[in-house]
Amino acid sequence: MLKIENLHVRVAGKEILKGLSLQVNAGEVHAIMGPNGAGKSTLGNVLAGRDGYEVSQGSVTYDGRNLLELEPEARAAAGVFLAFQYPVEIPGVNNTYFLRAALNAQRKARGEGELDTMQFLKRVREKLAVLHLKDELLHRAVNAGFSGGEKKRNEIFQLALLEPKLAILDETDSGLDIDALKMVAEGVNSMRDPGRAFIVVTHYQRLLDYIVPDVVHVLADGRIVESGDASLAHKLEEHGYAWIAERRVAGAA
Amino acid sequence: MATALLDELGCGDAVQRAESWRYSRNAIRALSQLDFAPAAGDAVFDAPLREQFEWPQTRGRRLVFVNGRLAPALSDLVDADASVATPTTGVCTLRLGPTAGLVHLVHVAVPGATATRWQARLEVEVAAPRACLVEHQVGASGADVLGVLDIGLALAPQARLEWVSLADLPATTSLVRRATVSLARQAQLRSTHAVFGGRLQRLELGVAIRGEQARLESRGVFVLRGREHADIQLDISHAARDSACDILWRGVADQRARAIFHGGITVEPGADGSDAGLSNKNVLLSPHAEIDTKPALVIHADEVKAAHGATVGQIDERALFYLRSRGIALAAARRMLVAAFCAEALAGIDDAALRERIEALAAARLPAPEGAP
Ligand SMILES: Nc1ncnc2c1ncn2[C@@H]1O[C@H](COP(=O)(O)OP(=O)(O)O)[C@@H](O)[C@H]1O
Ligand SMILES: [Mg+2]
Repeated sequence: MLKIENLHVRVAGKEILKGLSLQVNAGEVHAIMGPNGAGKSTLGNVLAGRDGYEVSQGSVTYDGRNLLELEPEARAAAGVFLAFQYPVEIPGVNNTYFLRAALNAQRKARGEGELDTMQFLKRVREKLAVLHLKDELLHRAVNAGFSGGEKKRNEIFQLALLEPKLAILDETDSGLDIDALKMVAEGVNSMRDPGRAFIVVTHYQRLLDYIVPDVVHVLADGRIVESGDASLAHKLEEHGYAWIAERRVAGAA
Repeated sequence: MATALLDELGCGDAVQRAESWRYSRNAIRALSQLDFAPAAGDAVFDAPLREQFEWPQTRGRRLVFVNGRLAPALSDLVDADASVATPTTGVCTLRLGPTAGLVHLVHVAVPGATATRWQARLEVEVAAPRACLVEHQVGASGADVLGVLDIGLALAPQARLEWVSLADLPATTSLVRRATVSLARQAQLRSTHAVFGGRLQRLELGVAIRGEQARLESRGVFVLRGREHADIQLDISHAARDSACDILWRGVADQRARAIFHGGITVEPGADGSDAGLSNKNVLLSPHAEIDTKPALVIHADEVKAAHGATVGQIDERALFYLRSRGIALAAARRMLVAAFCAEALAGIDDAALRERIEALAAARLPAPEGAP
């Protein structure tokens, strides 16, 4: 589904991703762990199409297409979704209006019929229930005045509503208490499907107790330096990222 | 002609007025190159222009002026407690009675074969405890039209007026409005100005808060594109104790549009305990657009609360990306953000249908998406 080869990305003139390669197949859940500043969010932003990220080398193929040449909205319509590490507050834009505009824009771009108000609201109610979010959030402006936990749950609610094929979760777990974490995990697990893939970026192994990944990668200094099964997350938790660095030094020697 | 127009509109010798025209001098100079003939007060016009102001909700409550002259055939105040007098002096006086309700006052600028101009003077007297004046400026594309309108608005003690002013003009219409407002004791004025389009729009809003505990709430939005030029000059003077003004304006300029916002507030000696607040935020949608904003607070009294803030910025790129990442196309996302930005300044309009109408007109003023039908 997604194939990233030797990706080099510069931000504000500084090379952040330095030859990252990653392949994700439909139905898989990949976890990406790594220290602060490693380039995890940069990867998510590049995949979603944010401006200001200059790809100097490498390629990203998604469903057989060059993902990098698509506008962000076209990527969304093609099924790419990024749950933001820091969801943006947009005062003055009503949440329901926004969600409906987003869903219908995607459906239209895919040649599907737009949902009418009744159909839309029915779908919204179903998904809200899974995440234990209050109806009241729908009447507020997008993320405006939401608590940290509400913002993160709102990201997963959008994920549930938009039903993307490739979902990238950027530290959705940080700042969540254990109950909210379980709700988020439940939301994600209920969406696991042979046709859908997830990239779960996290700092802590805790989330991976609830969303069990097929593959765990360690991203450090702009590259994937280690990949393994779910047990890798536990080793990291035990030994810290320094352990990876030491192994790399040892391996190089 | 050129110097005459400059002198007439305030670019002449009076230093202070000239200063207030500083940023619009070139625009007025370009306009004064045109050879204006008097506009016909009996000009006929067609359905699209009529439809801009023939709102079903204001039938029986509407006064229409064509090129500055009252058009009785188009006017009807049967449902409003209001009367109008047009003595030979050329000054039209509108009185809003105790149960006036809403009055829709329309100025239609109808282009002639060549450049034309009109001039009018309107006095509005408000004794009503609650009234709503919808002042509405419309025009059609064609040869240049310049309108100059002087508005006098007097609120009696304890009168309350909601003044909604909508100027939705094509790029060939210019309009200079000079409003002189006075508020008596405990009078309350809430004005909302929507300034859309126009080759040159100049709005001078001078408010003298003369009575104790009188209150002005000024809201406004300007949305400009192309080479449109708007110049907003607010001059509020607090001349009585415990009076208040609360000013909130939002501005949007795209393409090569140009806007000037001057927010002047003076608290006169003796106007102790007054409260003055001004916020003007602006967004530039293009690197070629320009907005100058200048709050000017002068305080000569004691125990005055005053706060002001003025900014010119760009659209929030993070919000734009967030919307796009959810599938909303760039142009639609920009519209959404700009509409949200303006909404705060229009939120004070009580009549929901009217507010939505103005919001829709603002949205329609935003640039069409590139390559869209
Ligand atoms: N807009 C930016 N301008 C300059 N540097 C940036 C920008 N965004 C990220 N960086 C830098 O890129 C590096 C990687 O950041 P990021 O991808 O956010 O890391 P992570 O998500 O793994 O913590 C950091 O050193 C950060 O300071
Ligand atoms: Mg990050």
